[in-house]
Amino acid sequence: MSHTTVKKIRSTTAAIVLTTMIAATANAGDLLFTASFDESPEGPYNDYEAARFLTQTTFGPTLAEIQRLRRIGYNAWLSEQLALPFSGHQPYLDQIAAIPEDVYHNIRYEAWTQRALTAPDQLRQRVAFALSEILVTSDQSGAVGGEPLALAHYYDLLGSNAFGNYRQLLELVTLDPVMGHYLSMFGNEKPDLASNRRPDENYAREIMQLFSVGLEQLNLDGTPVDGDPLTVGVQPVASYSQDTIRGFAHVFTGWTWFNCPIDNWGGCGPGATGAGWFSPMSPNVEFHAFEDSKQLLNYSGVALLGGILPATPRPANPANVQPVRDDLTAALNNIFNHPNVGPFVSRRLIQRLVSSNPSPAYVQRVASVFNNNGSGVRGDLRAVVRAIVLDSEARARPVVASSAGKLREPLLRWTQVWRAFAATNPNNRFNDWYVWYPYYTPQASLHSATVFNFFLPDYAAPGADVAQAGLFSPEFQIETDTFVTRFTNFLTTTATWWFSGNPSLDPNDSRINIEREKALSANVEALLEHLDVLLMGGTMSPFMRTTLKNHLSQVPLADDNGYRRSTDALSLILTSPEFSIEK
Amino acid sequence: MKRRDFVRRSLCAAVSSAAFTSIATKLNLAHAATPQIILGGAGSYRALVCVFLYGGNDSFNMVVPRDTPHYNIYNATRAAIALPQNSLLTLTAQNAAFDGALYGLHPSMPELAALFNQPTSPVAITANVGPLLYPINQAQYQNSSVPTPAQLFSHSDQQLFWQTPSADASGRTGWGGRLADLTTAIGQNPNLSMNISLDGENVFEAGETVIPYFVSPNGVENIDIVQDIPGWTEHQQRRAVLNALMNGPLSHPLERAYAAQFKRTVGNFEQVDAALQLPPNAPMEARFAYADANGGDYLGQQLRMVARLINRRTELSMTRQIFFVGIGGFDNHDTQLQDQAPLFASVSKGLTAFYQAMTDLSLADSVTAFTASEFGRTLTNNGDGTDHGWGGHHLVVGGAVQGGRYYGNFPSLAASNNPDNANYGQIIPTTSADQYAWTLARWYGLADTDRDLIFPNVSRFGGSNHHHLDFLGA
Repeated sequence: MSHTTVKKIRSTTAAIVLTTMIAATANAGDLLFTASFDESPEGPYNDYEAARFLTQTTFGPTLAEIQRLRRIGYNAWLSEQLALPFSGHQPYLDQIAAIPEDVYHNIRYEAWTQRALTAPDQLRQRVAFALSEILVTSDQSGAVGGEPLALAHYYDLLGSNAFGNYRQLLELVTLDPVMGHYLSMFGNEKPDLASNRRPDENYAREIMQLFSVGLEQLNLDGTPVDGDPLTVGVQPVASYSQDTIRGFAHVFTGWTWFNCPIDNWGGCGPGATGAGWFSPMSPNVEFHAFEDSKQLLNYSGVALLGGILPATPRPANPANVQPVRDDLTAALNNIFNHPNVGPFVSRRLIQRLVSSNPSPAYVQRVASVFNNNGSGVRGDLRAVVRAIVLDSEARARPVVASSAGKLREPLLRWTQVWRAFAATNPNNRFNDWYVWYPYYTPQASLHSATVFNFFLPDYAAPGADVAQAGLFSPEFQIETDTFVTRFTNFLTTTATWWFSGNPSLDPNDSRINIEREKALSANVEALLEHLDVLLMGGTMSPFMRTTLKNHLSQVPLADDNGYRRSTDALSLILTSPEFSIEK
Repeated sequence: MKRRDFVRRSLCAAVSSAAFTSIATKLNLAHAATPQIILGGAGSYRALVCVFLYGGNDSFNMVVPRDTPHYNIYNATRAAIALPQNSLLTLTAQNAAFDGALYGLHPSMPELAALFNQPTSPVAITANVGPLLYPINQAQYQNSSVPTPAQLFSHSDQQLFWQTPSADASGRTGWGGRLADLTTAIGQNPNLSMNISLDGENVFEAGETVIPYFVSPNGVENIDIVQDIPGWTEHQQRRAVLNALMNGPLSHPLERAYAAQFKRTVGNFEQVDAALQLPPNAPMEARFAYADANGGDYLGQQLRMVARLINRRTELSMTRQIFFVGIGGFDNHDTQLQDQAPLFASVSKGLTAFYQAMTDLSLADSVTAFTASEFGRTLTNNGDGTDHGWGGHHLVVGGAVQGGRYYGNFPSLAASNNPDNANYGQIIPTTSADQYAWTLARWYGLADTDRDLIFPNVSRFGGSNHHHLDFLGA
């Protein structure tokens, strides 16, 4: 079916016909969909597909971007996006500081908002956000709570390397002083038996458990390895032991502020300008544990014999710090090459971008790309992201009663709305953020309570639909009564108050623009079709559409200065279960 | 006035207390399956309050040996993070500690020390509690000849175990959740969850069917679009449409789960808000005046709301309740000494104020608060802090507690040749988390004959005939 034929049919308002046509188009398109991402299918073939794709690859579709994507197709869009540099968050903080204005974490949240809503490098910003929910640090830690600029710098590090190599990202994160302070690798010292002092194990534990390998051995498809197939059920196999943690803890010793003089270990600081916060940590020979071999990860094909990093001679000259770097390199290589890393990272990125419950086959396809991007390179995030969003499981609109998709986390739910309706602020400052957070939403950038992010990958809402059905629903972990209430109120306030046609709006408030919707609302079906595309990627059920249509049709067009049909439609859609679940 | 306040007040101005009936009739009731076990006689009230110290509390600096021979061992081992002997607050116990030592509390805990020392004390100290599959000694641990819980020193897993506790269960339910799944009480409100959390999601209260109800320290708020405002026609129309969407045919499991959560939230609000709008108990409120000073004491604020809810138990028709409050910050890998002081101060003030509040309500014997934490910490230090340990000491506070006493065995704190040291300063627990939890559940009303439904492992451990500890009676 040609694209022009689809357009003609779509210009009618026959929803049933439309749905059939979409199905037929999807079938035709499916012939071009292969199980492999290598032959990226051209598409999207309709606005629904375009909107769904942009929901996964940006902070929310806009009509303009839907139309642009339809003109140039997935591959060209991706190529553009993959080439764009990261719009840094720290420069935004610097601009505000120069006004001058005090910069606290609220300005960090404002920067995040501004980039999410308006930055051209949407895919990179979105992947940076996903990475920030895996390689977690947080301003809720006393160790870094006073450093908004440093945290913004950390975020920029994730963004700049979002399409680089995961091995390099691991090293940059490991040596970043924010992470160093957050998980106490900074200033970690070799053992001192006289004072019963051992190296701190915090970072050793979390880099494995949360950033790379995880607690259990995994198959390539992300399912746990069964340690005893003869026994009913899956018996997980631990991927490492306490000895391994201890081994890594000993490697992660001897790191301090950038360019600290080697004889000033304890007295060094980030420098008069605090520049140390923005530079990787530097090694120190005296406080690194050279002695004792260290048990690291052991796995099939491991480079180190038995996974053991041998003791190395302590350099006679303390200026010779290269051996400290060499130990770190060996340790990070040891982690990076563990067979778990591909499925571990892939599943988490799929969960952040596409679906809470990817099929094992989907995880395996992406993990295979992580292991080898097609040119023999392991850990190529650019290739992994392409694989995730072009995979047939991501591109196919889920069939009825499928479990594909995810609950939109609060930050993504509201950026979707703010972008869809071109939110602006009269002062060009999205600084309502300090009003919105932490009251309306439990989330803010780099602000989770713990290193476990706002929710766990394996969280499952109790009850028959999710936990008892063997499904996962990470985002439900923060859907507490408190935030179901407040965030619902936030969305309805957005729809019914914070819009530019509201004469009572505070002149400083950010607001969405629904003039386009107001103009459409004489034709209820057109309004609903428009909102279905923009907000739901065409997944609105016939029941929901009929229910809304019946209500809106009896709303007088002139109510609330002609805005009521639009504000009603918005407030009802945004609070509906169908919108809340992205499919 | 902030915009949101204006909007909420204008909507709230005309609100009635009528329930959102068409949604309420379709609530996924808190006790969907008929509970098998009835607790308590008519008119009796019991409540448990779990005070979870997130991060792994270094209780070896909370309850500290103060007599010189034992103090010297402690001081030699803990070195840079040892507390000065003359700073410890004297505990005068009614029984001797297992190791013959005299103990003191961290200097930030004068309120609890005084409460422990009073003649009829409501404070018990349980020593060296931790998750175990079986009793285990050092040799068995080092030879791996006796099974131990998996992922012993991982925060998330040990939080799970402490809250579960069945240390070999992979399920996502906690013992508070299972209690709520399996039990109810005479006169209990079927529409409100037995379990209420002041600190959000937690495994302790999650059951197979029961979902804990979350309340914030400031109370409960309503969903604007759901409020019944007769006379505001346009609002009522929207309300009806949302009701239809929430109860419509939802083909996606996550949609159904979301709708179920939404409806639960609505139903719970109605009940609890009505109860909290009633006049407060002034003396009880005064106990928590400290909780709003100096930027606010989160634990105190949570416990105050628990007290308010308990005060309205009759209006809410609750005869058995399990509350969860939590504070973080105990993961002291660094700067332990300065971080611990305000944390322990908060725990001391909070537990004491809460106990006093319960006496104001004449409920001191009916409410028992207890601490929990995913693990203790290592004896040895990493410079200025400690790492994840295993066994730790815990506090139980309530009128029914046989207080002013130590329960369980204090371990050796020696840095070397220590038979209680698993390997690297993590102390092997001598009381299992199962026993600790079972003791509390037993007081709550769980019968000895029903014990294994919730604590299948506890018979592996010692204690009296039914494997409980004695801090809530023999």
